[in-house]
Amino acid sequence: MALRPGLILALLASPLAAQSERDRLEGRVPAAAIPTVDSLVQLATREDLPTEPLVQKALEGGAKHQPAGRIAAAAQAMLGQLRDARALLVRAGDAPPATAAEVTTIYAALKRGLPGPVVERIVAALPQEPRGSALHAVADLATHHFEPDSAATLIIDAARQGLRGERLLDVSTAVLHEVQRGHSRAEAVAVVRRQLPNVPSPPKPARASVAGARRPGTTTLAPP
Amino acid sequence: MNSIDPRIHQALDGEIARESLPPELRRVVDRLESAAALLAAAFPPQGAGLEPRVMAAVRRPAPSGERVRRLLRWFATPQAVTFRIRPAWSLALAAAIVLLTLVPAEERGPALGEHEGIAQFVGRFPDAHSVHVAGSFNDWRTGTIPLEDRDHDGVWRATVVLPTGAYEYMFVVDGERWVPDHWADRLVEDDFGRENSIVIVRATWR
Repeated sequence: MALRPGLILALLASPLAAQSERDRLEGRVPAAAIPTVDSLVQLATREDLPTEPLVQKALEGGAKHQPAGRIAAAAQAMLGQLRDARALLVRAGDAPPATAAEVTTIYAALKRGLPGPVVERIVAALPQEPRGSALHAVADLATHHFEPDSAATLIIDAARQGLRGERLLDVSTAVLHEVQRGHSRAEAVAVVRRQLPNVPSPPKPARASVAGARRPGTTTLAPP
Repeated sequence: MNSIDPRIHQALDGEIARESLPPELRRVVDRLESAAALLAAAFPPQGAGLEPRVMAAVRRPAPSGERVRRLLRWFATPQAVTFRIRPAWSLALAAAIVLLTLVPAEERGPALGEHEGIAQFVGRFPDAHSVHVAGSFNDWRTGTIPLEDRDHDGVWRATVVLPTGAYEYMFVVDGERWVPDHWADRLVEDDFGRENSIVIVRATWR
């Protein structure tokens, strides 16, 4: 039987990736938790789910001196939430396969407390683009006791008027500024809706701040 | 050797009266004066001195074609250039160039990529001896990003360059106490009984 080069590469790359992720856990996560986390990572790989959030959760638990059982339970729960996130993407009409970044984005939105139907609405309304910023914008408003569904409507309207990506975060920021100025929540939403798409951009960081910035080793959890 | 009688010179110069000369010398003087008159008539005086005439010739503009040709010839001709170097001034110039190229780069801070931004972490921990930030941007390593309290007012700060994205984080006070960022708007359960803060890093393209 002739194997395609892509399949051969995938067969070779998968164990290598698993090994590198196991290496990241060694010495930083209680040894008793590593086999469970490792098997969950392999399971996620086989199911085409993102593995990085599982590794991050285990590293976080290890850094916070959590017992092995608790770390394993947190990773186990996360795998279920990642499955839910992908199922939501499929329900909302995203063509499979869902990318790891999109699944992680949906997972993060649900984790922040957004109701599934609201997330589904946003996914369906923004079919061809990253939804991270839109979901964070809605979650920011929900955190400040705005009704999630009306917050989603505002952000979807902003996207329809041409605002994209990080600019959607400026919409929720503008609404919160209006509340700080004394408007009710409904008034604040109405004021910003009238301004769309001309919401103010955030100020650039001060030159002194940029000058003092340093770079750490970095790993992205989820794109906004 | 001058074969002319000196009295002829004296008469021509007006030093002696012509009438005092013998008749043959008087005739020579007359002939010489006639010859001088003929020469003066053939070459009339210019009316100006030598210097004004030379300067006028110098100031006369050259034809424009000639000027272009001269310029082209100057460009095409190898020119000798002489450098006189004083070591002290040369070292000072080199030091100034080094300062101009290196020091401003330090002051500007790190160059940011198109997909990078600045995250500022600020926390108030009046009694802390050390504060670090750990999160998904540094694999939750506790000792890699310290915050500083330069003016000892209990407010600790760090400014970090990160790729754009959303990150969960917490502060680690005195190496062991995990504390959420109380000034952060975005919080999320960490599955270990506490809450992580969320920072969203936006592109700071410049």
